[in-house]
Amino acid sequence: MGGAGGADGDPRKLGDDEDDSGRRGAKKLTGKITVWSWDVAAAALKRLGRTFQERNPGVTVDVVDIGYDNAYDKITVGLRGGTGLADILTIEGSYLPQYTANFPSAIYDVANLGGRYGGDFARAAWRTVTGRTGGEQVFGIPWDIGPCALYYRTDHFRAGGVDPTSLQTWDDYVRAGVRIKKATGHKLLVHDPTDSGIFPMLLQQQGQSSFLGGRIALETPAAVQALTLMKRLAEEELVDYEKNWDGLVTATKEGKVSTTPIAAWWSGTLTDEMPELSGKFRVVPLPGFTADGVRTSNIGGSTLCIPTQSEHPELAWQFIRFVLTDKDNQVSMLKREGLFPAYLPALEDGYLSEKQEYFGGQRANAVFTRLAQNIPPVEYTKDDAKEKDIVISTVNGVMLHGKDPRAALASAARQLAEATGRKRVAVAP
Amino acid sequence: MSSNPAAVRRLGRFAVRAVLVLGGVVSLLPFLWMATAATHSTADLFHSPPPLLPGGQLLDNLARLQESIGFGRVLFNSLGIAVVHTAVSSLVSAMCGYGLAKYRFRGRGVLLAAVLATMMIPFQVLLVPLFQMMASLGWIDSYQAVILPFLANSFGILLMRQAFVGFTDELIESARIDGCGELRTFYRVVLPCVRPQLGALVTFTFTAAWNSFIWPLLMLNTEDKYTVPVALNTLTGLSRVDYSGLMLGSLLATLPLMALFLLFQRQFVAGLLSGAVKG
Amino acid sequence: MTAVNTHERSVAPACAPGTVRRPRRRGHLSGWIFAGPAAALFALFFAYPLGASLLQSFTTEDAGAVHWVGLDQYQRMLHDPAFIQSLLNTGLILVVQVPVMIGLALVLAALLNQSWLRFRGTWRALHFLPAVTTLVAYAVVFQVLLKTDNGLVNQILGAVGISPVDWLNDPTWARISLILTLTWRWTGYNAVILLAGLQSIGKEQYEAAALDGAGTFTTYTRVILPQLRPVILFCAVTSTIGTLQLFDENYVLTRGGPDNATLTPVVYLYKVGFQQFDFGYAAAIAWVVVALIAAISALQYLAFGRERRR
Repeated sequence: MGGAGGADGDPRKLGDDEDDSGRRGAKKLTGKITVWSWDVAAAALKRLGRTFQERNPGVTVDVVDIGYDNAYDKITVGLRGGTGLADILTIEGSYLPQYTANFPSAIYDVANLGGRYGGDFARAAWRTVTGRTGGEQVFGIPWDIGPCALYYRTDHFRAGGVDPTSLQTWDDYVRAGVRIKKATGHKLLVHDPTDSGIFPMLLQQQGQSSFLGGRIALETPAAVQALTLMKRLAEEELVDYEKNWDGLVTATKEGKVSTTPIAAWWSGTLTDEMPELSGKFRVVPLPGFTADGVRTSNIGGSTLCIPTQSEHPELAWQFIRFVLTDKDNQVSMLKREGLFPAYLPALEDGYLSEKQEYFGGQRANAVFTRLAQNIPPVEYTKDDAKEKDIVISTVNGVMLHGKDPRAALASAARQLAEATGRKRVAVAP
Repeated sequence: MSSNPAAVRRLGRFAVRAVLVLGGVVSLLPFLWMATAATHSTADLFHSPPPLLPGGQLLDNLARLQESIGFGRVLFNSLGIAVVHTAVSSLVSAMCGYGLAKYRFRGRGVLLAAVLATMMIPFQVLLVPLFQMMASLGWIDSYQAVILPFLANSFGILLMRQAFVGFTDELIESARIDGCGELRTFYRVVLPCVRPQLGALVTFTFTAAWNSFIWPLLMLNTEDKYTVPVALNTLTGLSRVDYSGLMLGSLLATLPLMALFLLFQRQFVAGLLSGAVKG
Repeated sequence: MTAVNTHERSVAPACAPGTVRRPRRRGHLSGWIFAGPAAALFALFFAYPLGASLLQSFTTEDAGAVHWVGLDQYQRMLHDPAFIQSLLNTGLILVVQVPVMIGLALVLAALLNQSWLRFRGTWRALHFLPAVTTLVAYAVVFQVLLKTDNGLVNQILGAVGISPVDWLNDPTWARISLILTLTWRWTGYNAVILLAGLQSIGKEQYEAAALDGAGTFTTYTRVILPQLRPVILFCAVTSTIGTLQLFDENYVLTRGGPDNATLTPVVYLYKVGFQQFDFGYAAAIAWVVVALIAAISALQYLAFGRERRR
């Protein structure tokens, strides 16, 4: 077996085959659980943990901010060591399948308890917790999601004489970039030469990751189109190369680039780090690969899951359910911590259709809300870490050294096949 | 001019000072930038070029640091851990170095091999088994788990062995004739003679314990127990980094190390040793 | 060569130079009194992890199931371009950075040892400062200083008419950046060790040399350096070990990139183990690092040590 989605493991199930939700009121909750998270997510859980404690006297929820940078080291050592983990872990959706596949039976399958919520979450987010099983196994509950759109500078577009609503396709986007650069000298977007940049986003927009059905899908038309687009952007000298997070933020703050194709959480960075640019940005859906193609994608998004080491899995589950399947709580996390919910009922809240002053009165959140429902789900695998290294060097070989996208992707597919033992998706020559 | 020894000496001294100033500037430059960054808001730091002159946000940053990670508290934790670690580890290392340098005993070769092996093995592969040990001892989230495994410090043992290898035996013998026991000889006669190395050992051990990051991160699961590096790590989020808080925290974290270094400076000065021995 | 090993000290008659260099053959008990605590700590905390990692290097895992594969993991390295690249990068640092750094540290230690120098304490502290930076500060500071666009270093270079250097994104420059920042961080550290060695050399050694009419420079090269040899060797060996185990600096600065230009074996084994969950292979790489360190350290002892048999 290719081994995606933990299919060859033997995961432990939490809860009876009969759904227990009816009994919740009857059983009094007691005990103490610990939760690991980071950053604003930890802040949100601390806040809701207090509410949960108030509603359930006898329950203690201890939320620990373990920091993001080395969170996975801590989680990996705990999973590998078979002990020492918290009762609830925050794991990004794109990482979860690596853990469930490499440590089968280390994370509870909560299908019996949480399976019925499947329809309430954005499909792309739900896919990260179910893997390829189509809902037979559910390894956690999705939390937030990163619907993608195009942030742009109104002043740059005006100076270049480009109507942002005219950006239907990526071809339009490149042409607009050329005009804006001619008129203003600004480049179009930032690329981090130590990262794969917008490549995974462009793949997901077309409904795939680097894998399809467990096979390597780097030679598909979608992959070739994505990398060809990136090469064109580089050749037209529309790319501003900046390393790391602070490089992207600085370049944006300095107005070096006119657009940023990125997820909804970018709004938080804009308002926090560049309040002086209030009114300069707007949001439109991503350009499509065809005029009627999908106009969004996904970057980021976390899940909450329960390791089988937990001594209080039922209580852990009740807390997860309280935080993530409750409309008011989800909305409060959006308002207060800026976490964009994957829980669809929360997206109906009026807050998301309010005018936003920072975006010159545009209803930016409404754009993301509309897009969030349509993000194509893609598959993540246990080999994503190997995939990432190879894709990064392939993408930058093309962008920085002008390699041919098709040939570079074929070579990447061969390397990845060798490293993982997976087959490649057959492509018509 | 070369015939004038005074002039040559002046020139030499000038050259020495010039080199030291240059080295000092290079050493200091990154710290100056940290100090500058600590006085700005994170948003200001994202300007390009970044600000070079101090800003007015120092107190705000300090207040935020205290509020977000309880800086005073974690500073206190780090101090306690590092002091205990340094005191015990330096003593253990010095004793072991002395034993290896001055005695032949059965198992000495095995011990030396163990010292070398733990020094040579990349620490990263030991993390999981060591973690399992701590867990089975029930020590997760405790300070003994942070401190105990790394008390025996290979580098320190070799540094001290190095110091003792050439150490004269007559002195030890005469102390023994005076009726000193082995341990008493060691503390009263031998240790004071290797003060420069001991000062270096204490400084290095304290620095390593103070800056230790990945092991305390793995061991500690309560924010109240965090050390400075573990707490500062939480300032880095997924899509936001509190750079000014990081810079201020890091800068403040180096102050105790500098204080310690200046304190143990004395140990490096050989002149102070005269008469200090065999009191 | 009699001078090699004797850390004579002039100041106190009690610490007078001796001639006996052999460990005295006294009862086993006395030796264990001193070595015991450390030995117990090693046995308690490292016997199991060391053994476990060695065993692990002969296994592979697939979704939780462990298989014995003999030497397969070790053979894999021979055909693994990333691993070979990591060795080449390490070799470059060993050949270029370590000697330069120790040379600079020697000069620095000698300068800081000048008795006429005022504020010696402050000078020493200043040069030791880089060694006490926390890693997170090191990472952020150098990312900012070495930024291609408007980084402080490029701004300074620009002021003297040098065009911006792509410090961290170009493979060659990334290697140079790593070497420079390593030297920045560790020169003062080594200087402190060497200074401790210099301080152990008696004052009358310098005076005797001066009576002979030797200049300061000659005193250092002829009289002091040979006596400092064991300390220099110590620095060389520990720096070699540090280089072969290099992880912190290149991980936080470049993650081993670009294009594996700053990849080292330990960064690679971290990626293999903690990101790809290939723990068997990671353990095998670790033990190859041990073997390399042992071999190179042994060579250094043979070539420069000439330490008397104990």
